Amino acid sequence: MDDLPLQKIAISGPTLASLIQRFSSSSGDVDGLLFGHVSQPTPSNLLEDDLPEPSSTRSDSPTLVANVTGFVCSGTVSSFYDSAGRLNEPALRRFVTDRALPGQSLLGWFVGRRRTALRPSLREFNVSSSLSNETLTLTANSQIEDSVKIPPCVFILLSTPLIAQSIHTHDHRAFQFRRSSGAFEPKSMDVVNIGPGFRVHYGAFSPNSPLPWLPCVVRDSSSMEIEEDKRRDGLAARRAALKEQKGLDLYAEGFDVGRLGRLMGSEAANYTSELEGLYEKMLVKLEGLARNVEKSSAKVLEQEQRNMKLRSKFAGFG
Amino acid sequence: MSPPNTHTTKTKTESERKRSPDSRDRASDERAMVADGTLPPLIAAQLNHLLSHSSHSLKVDQIWSGCKNAQFSDRFTLLVPFCLDYVKWDVVYNAQCPWVAPDVIFAAEDEGFYPFFVAGEGQANGQREKSSLEDWNCKDPARLMLLVHELRDLYKSYQMKRVGELDDERLKFEISTVLSREGIEVCMISGSERLEDVKFSVPLLDMNLNKLVHGCPWRHQQMIYLQVVFPISRKYTSSSPPRIKLVSSSELKALLSVEDVKLPIWLDGMCMAEYLPAVEDILKAQIVEAIAAIGARRRFIEALASQFGRPLEADSVFCRKATVLAASGVFTFLVHISLSTQFPKQQPVLVLQSSQHFNSQGTPVMSPPLMDYPWSPRWETSQMVERIYEFLAEECLSFKKYCNDSQFQQ
Repeated sequence: MDDLPLQKIAISGPTLASLIQRFSSSSGDVDGLLFGHVSQPTPSNLLEDDLPEPSSTRSDSPTLVANVTGFVCSGTVSSFYDSAGRLNEPALRRFVTDRALPGQSLLGWFVGRRRTALRPSLREFNVSSSLSNETLTLTANSQIEDSVKIPPCVFILLSTPLIAQSIHTHDHRAFQFRRSSGAFEPKSMDVVNIGPGFRVHYGAFSPNSPLPWLPCVVRDSSSMEIEEDKRRDGLAARRAALKEQKGLDLYAEGFDVGRLGRLMGSEAANYTSELEGLYEKMLVKLEGLARNVEKSSAKVLEQEQRNMKLRSKFAGFG
Repeated sequence: MSPPNTHTTKTKTESERKRSPDSRDRASDERAMVADGTLPPLIAAQLNHLLSHSSHSLKVDQIWSGCKNAQFSDRFTLLVPFCLDYVKWDVVYNAQCPWVAPDVIFAAEDEGFYPFFVAGEGQANGQREKSSLEDWNCKDPARLMLLVHELRDLYKSYQMKRVGELDDERLKFEISTVLSREGIEVCMISGSERLEDVKFSVPLLDMNLNKLVHGCPWRHQQMIYLQVVFPISRKYTSSSPPRIKLVSSSELKALLSVEDVKLPIWLDGMCMAEYLPAVEDILKAQIVEAIAAIGARRRFIEALASQFGRPLEADSVFCRKATVLAASGVFTFLVHISLSTQFPKQQPVLVLQSSQHFNSQGTPVMSPPLMDYPWSPRWETSQMVERIYEFLAEECLSFKKYCNDSQFQQ
């Protein structure tokens, strides 16, 4: 992993928004890790080929772009390092493996601290230096053969203005930690959003989704049982599959796959009422789900408040 | 006019009431900020320890909160004295986790200052010096002080290194000749027209000034420094002379005003090693004189009693101030006498304060400073007091009129 200079750091609008949201909803300072990939966009200007020594010009002007596509926020500070800035490797490893997604590797880290100057602090320097020196294989997976590899050297600093303002509420600045010079280099941060200005970026965009791929096979539970028997798979596997199917059937509210099949095609017109019934039940279910979310959110909030109280007590406020 | 008897107690309490909030405010300014009540106890204990135990006179500029609900304060700006100036460091704690060691954000111009880190061939985890941030113990109130002192030492070497890397023959020579002096500090400062200068702060006189004054109230060691600012010359050919200034620690002003000391001329081609002994000789003589001047002022204050009665208040250490009570008929007033370090060459400054007339804000009516009355430094002390008494016997009539006028105007 070479200590190559980055041209800029790109982050998608939703990722940045969610990063700011995590920071602004937390009660104190936060830190976390940044994931993504490094790309080398094809230069649109092909005049370079005519130059006698294209290699020299390439080495002078950096063309690498670090694309931040995801992050994990710890919700607190010193989550994967100690007060002197040394890495806590088990914690770091846990964070990284939690986010093991295809096409994403550890790019760096971020800190959100309210009402502070927008320049790296003593500890941030030391953590960045430790992180970019990290020789362990921390990358989520090694499938991405073709992409350029750089050490996790990206650092994004989030802050809020020293004096509270109603319009200007957040600041952010991106840096690359250069191992060779032992210093932070401020880098421009491109917020990738939809619009004509970003068409170029989307041209080279390879989408990746954190949702797992679900194999979809149409079959009903009875036929599945027979098939399973025939295959003579392990008993445990069969039980698990049955359990899953039962769960699915519960959600289908009696509309098994076979019955659902009739909802399609020429027969569909006759089953309008059934369809409406299913739709209504789905709505009820959604409402129930929303209520569950609301209740669990309230519980989470309650627990957070309890944690706060315990912390205050520990700090001597009690 | 007669020496006062009956009003003494009353006036004393009044004068105390007037003075005390003022002086107490100044003395406990730093404490008041700390005792804001919003710093978590663990952090407050460390900051209090730092301010009261540090050998450097550190100051807290501002305390604020980084929490969402701003319930607890957890960050502050520390003014750290360095090279006859202050550097501003933001100390960032976390009120949510007060047991975590603080982080420090240095000033914007010190971009290259990253302590506890040595860039070099060391790869795994860098090469780091053992710092006081390691094994942080939040329950130990001395921890912050250790950290700040350690950082200040590192900052000192950082500035020294920056100056040492400059391509200036004269500076290289100066550094090699005076660096052995204990307590010397250097730093880069941005001068006029985007040019940078190098500032030297050279502690002068290898003597304990605190011990020279009897009953010395100074908590910090008092020092006199020579500030020498060299413009950086890239070529040795045209080196302009440095800008020289004497600077003393602030409390020393009660004894000696270093601004009044006439410095010897810096001759062309001179270096600091030649210049410093000459300055130190002059200063030594000045300090002997300043100590002797305390005696002269003390004798004057003691002589006041013969005419005015015992002073209500007097500065017993440096003998720079005394307040006496006087009366003309029923008109009672205070006389505040201020003595400069140049006494008796400079006559005392008198300010009269009525005990009976108050302005619309409720503060007593005061006269403008009086410093134009008959005076000779050659008079005997008793004669000085007599002549002031005579002058005041006249002056009090116009002061009484002044008091009445200012009351009628309301």
